[in-house]
Amino acid sequence: MISLLDIVGPVMVGPSSSHTAGACRLSRVARALLEEEPVEARFELHSAFAKTMRGHGTDRALVAGALGMEVDDPRLKDALEIAKERGLRYVLKPKNMGPEAHPNSVAITLSGASRTIAVLGASIGGGMIEIREVDGFPVSLSAKDPCLLLFYEDRPGVVMRASEIIGRRGINIASMEVLRRGRGDQAFMRIDLDAPLPPPDVDALRQMPGVSRVHVLDRVAGGAPIT
Amino acid sequence: MATLNSFSELLELAEGSARPLDAIFLEVESAERDLPSDRVFQIFRERWSVMKDSVRRGLAGGRSFSGLVGGDARKVMEFTEGGDIAGGRLVAKCIAYSIAVLEENSRMGIIVAAPTAGAAGMVPGTLLAIAEERGFDDDFAARGLVVAGGFGALVAGKAELSGAAGGCQAEQGVGAAMAAGALTFLLGGTPNMSVHAAALTLQNTLGLACDPVAGLVEVPCVVRNGFTAMLALTGAQTALAGVRASSRWTRSSRRWSRSARRCRAP
Repeated sequence: MISLLDIVGPVMVGPSSSHTAGACRLSRVARALLEEEPVEARFELHSAFAKTMRGHGTDRALVAGALGMEVDDPRLKDALEIAKERGLRYVLKPKNMGPEAHPNSVAITLSGASRTIAVLGASIGGGMIEIREVDGFPVSLSAKDPCLLLFYEDRPGVVMRASEIIGRRGINIASMEVLRRGRGDQAFMRIDLDAPLPPPDVDALRQMPGVSRVHVLDRVAGGAPIT
Repeated sequence: MATLNSFSELLELAEGSARPLDAIFLEVESAERDLPSDRVFQIFRERWSVMKDSVRRGLAGGRSFSGLVGGDARKVMEFTEGGDIAGGRLVAKCIAYSIAVLEENSRMGIIVAAPTAGAAGMVPGTLLAIAEERGFDDDFAARGLVVAGGFGALVAGKAELSGAAGGCQAEQGVGAAMAAGALTFLLGGTPNMSVHAAALTLQNTLGLACDPVAGLVEVPCVVRNGFTAMLALTGAQTALAGVRASSRWTRSSRRWSRSARRCRAP
């Protein structure tokens, strides 16, 4: 069942849960995946998103998310000016992604000093979002719950070793997705957890043979963690 | 309790346990979030405060971010205070408070989406109006808000909420259904009555094509006339208060029927 607090919520800066709050959350996910301060941001907006860019503050919300603001941050309104002060260069452009894409889709490319990340996602209503692609890998990710993303080389035993590290900590895996480009090629794993994994265990995942990157998303798109 | 998937499952549970709807919904959310029920209720209580604030700020007036709208909630409220109102104070407050939240939203103010920002007016607008008129305290109103959230979650599990994907009536209809279920609860209705209030509201909001059950002018047409009569009353009430329609809507009725079918502003 969908959470009642997602329906009576989020507490947010107006005017649109899809075009303002959802846009901010999509960008927050990209920032969390970048894991450093972005200096350059490129946003390509499809269909409804492109049309509401100014009127619904979608431009401000996307930039606010890249700056790390939450959906209820009153400074969201001034995000474009704040980006200038903080040295974040941004480009916003319409892009037709075809008839299959959700009308509220956006492709986000964020660059920091040392790396770049590409995220494709959609704002699906009421402030809820779905990430559809990370660095070209097709995924399905709400970023609402604690979640791990692993990029690694396809080989036997990686899934077992990863779940062992998580299981040893007594944390339950809620759901999981495993993909690869081809046999022995680059592979990708998404692990949704019932509780965040402590940093030492995340390091243990990073040190597993064949693992190139591990990203931690801790309720990036669900508002502040409620405890 | 694991989860709930439909209005009928909710009724089974409510009638089997004789517990009020808010307690059932709190227990479901508490299990889903892995938080104690009283903590979940506290969050609803906080969101209720934000909602009340958004009504208050909305009534204070000001133009929207784009400059298109603003000040209508205050017109309706001032007219209401003058005493010369068509549908009574409760109806007038429901209208003014619901518009107030959306005006605040359009100014990029802080609101609570319920279920979306574009349809965030009805739940706080009607709940606050009834709470004031009946003397309900904030804790009781927040219990109503839990019930509203429960109905919204049940519908959202099966339907599109975004206006861009589902059309405007999807989010407005769900917002009104949430409010209807909650108002029925606050006014002492049984769980069965709350379920029917939410379902009737959906049945009489959704649907732009003429598509009656069995091809007869019976369902939803008969009850929908009662629902739609309230639109007429609201039209009179708001116009008397000085609210003006977009000039595009006053110009041509042919344009109206065409755009009603396409569900898009003319």
